[in-house]
Amino acid sequence: MRPALVFSLLLCLLLALDGALFVDGVRRRKAEDATLAQLEVATSALGLTDLAVATEARYTRHPAVSDPMAPFMDHPGAIEHFPTGAFWQPPQR
Amino acid sequence: MAQTNLEKQINILDYALSSLWRRRMKSLNVLLVFAAVIFLLASFQMVTQALSDKAKQVLVYTPEITVQKMSAGRQEAIPLAYRDKLARIFGIRRVVPRIWGYYFDEVLLANYTVMGMDVEEMPEGSRLDTTLASGRMPTPDEQGRVVIGHSVKKALDLEGRTTFSFFRPDLSLKAFTVSGEFSRDTDILTNDLIVMNLADARDLYAIPAGMVTDLCVYVANPKEIDTIARKISEALPSVRVLTRPQIQKTYQVVFGWRSGFGSICLLSALAAFVILAWDKASGLSPEERREIAILKVLGWETSDILAVRFWESVIVSGLACILGITAAYIHVVYFAASLFRPVLMGWSVLRPDLHLLPRMAAGDILLILAFTVIPYLAATVIPAWRSATVPADSALGG
Repeated sequence: MRPALVFSLLLCLLLALDGALFVDGVRRRKAEDATLAQLEVATSALGLTDLAVATEARYTRHPAVSDPMAPFMDHPGAIEHFPTGAFWQPPQR
Repeated sequence: MAQTNLEKQINILDYALSSLWRRRMKSLNVLLVFAAVIFLLASFQMVTQALSDKAKQVLVYTPEITVQKMSAGRQEAIPLAYRDKLARIFGIRRVVPRIWGYYFDEVLLANYTVMGMDVEEMPEGSRLDTTLASGRMPTPDEQGRVVIGHSVKKALDLEGRTTFSFFRPDLSLKAFTVSGEFSRDTDILTNDLIVMNLADARDLYAIPAGMVTDLCVYVANPKEIDTIARKISEALPSVRVLTRPQIQKTYQVVFGWRSGFGSICLLSALAAFVILAWDKASGLSPEERREIAILKVLGWETSDILAVRFWESVIVSGLACILGITAAYIHVVYFAASLFRPVLMGWSVLRPDLHLLPRMAAGDILLILAFTVIPYLAATVIPAWRSATVPADSALGG
């Protein structure tokens, strides 16, 4: 078998895997859209401002209502020490 | 003519594949390192994009204006009397007071978010029961009843009971009864929440009567949000006024390449390419030069040798790109970005089940290609051209 044919078969296999992931993604998207209404009601009725992803520090739990200075407010010369501070960028206003 | 050209390119592709197979250990190593770099970049891009996307969708319904009092650079309780001052500003439809804060559980080291308000005053408040998996929202006159998020129930081990207690600031205990639990579908918003009446939250935090944490302001015309926010700032100089567009904007910039972790992803990719480019640009090995010389002696033209090198680069970078992006998608969607969780959630005890579903737009794929495949093509083809133009006899040492 020609090397180019073997390579084409490998490529087709990978693209078939990607196709299957795409079909599953469409199915997941439909399920997610169905729960969106619940999220909208929760946000609206509770006046929520942030996603509940990182709960370790107040400035990564609620970055939208925190000051960029909040990580350094514990005492004079305080340094930011929570791991999530590396992922979440301070909000800019 | 076209068929001959196609046949020629397929033959060159065959030769390029055989050449890669001959050096399979080296090729496999380059492919794996390359795929790992693309996996890292694509995973970061997908996680941040999925989270920003989710925030963009749900924060459309956040309060139009949030008013908080500031003192010495910190947020402090705001007098309820400010509500009357706000009512005088034309265009404000409704002002809802709220008490919220954090409760640190010293046994479990968990941080709960406590929210106290009269939900019936809020927009969609009457429909909040639809977000519950079980139970119902307490009415304003039901004291000591709360609705909790999934992780709170798990952390407090409330499977077989419905009551728990928290300490007030004076260390006396306040008992609560669970009247409902939020649906797991709303975990991304309600995972760590404990929602209760305004009076219960005031009692728990010992906040004096007439004070609240913040005021949610709703305006009659959403186009006037900025104007009304300015009027509030003028009427109440010591307050911080946050508008809905500002809150939405936060989530479009909070997960960025400029964050520490984003910079590490970018810098590691950059370092990998600098090493790769250095290796390639420092010239071909004597074996590779000899191979090119033999091909030229056999009648291959410089353009044919360049085509071989081009195909080799396209095969390696193309395969690495497909493998890296596919692995990143599987990592983010099916494993909930488990490699990033230690830094995304850090020391958090309450962790939501993230159901991330990135939208893979053509622009995102192009961005990853621009960072990875194009520099690789440039780094491999240029040294090959320099070598292919060397006379065959000198390369063979003749």
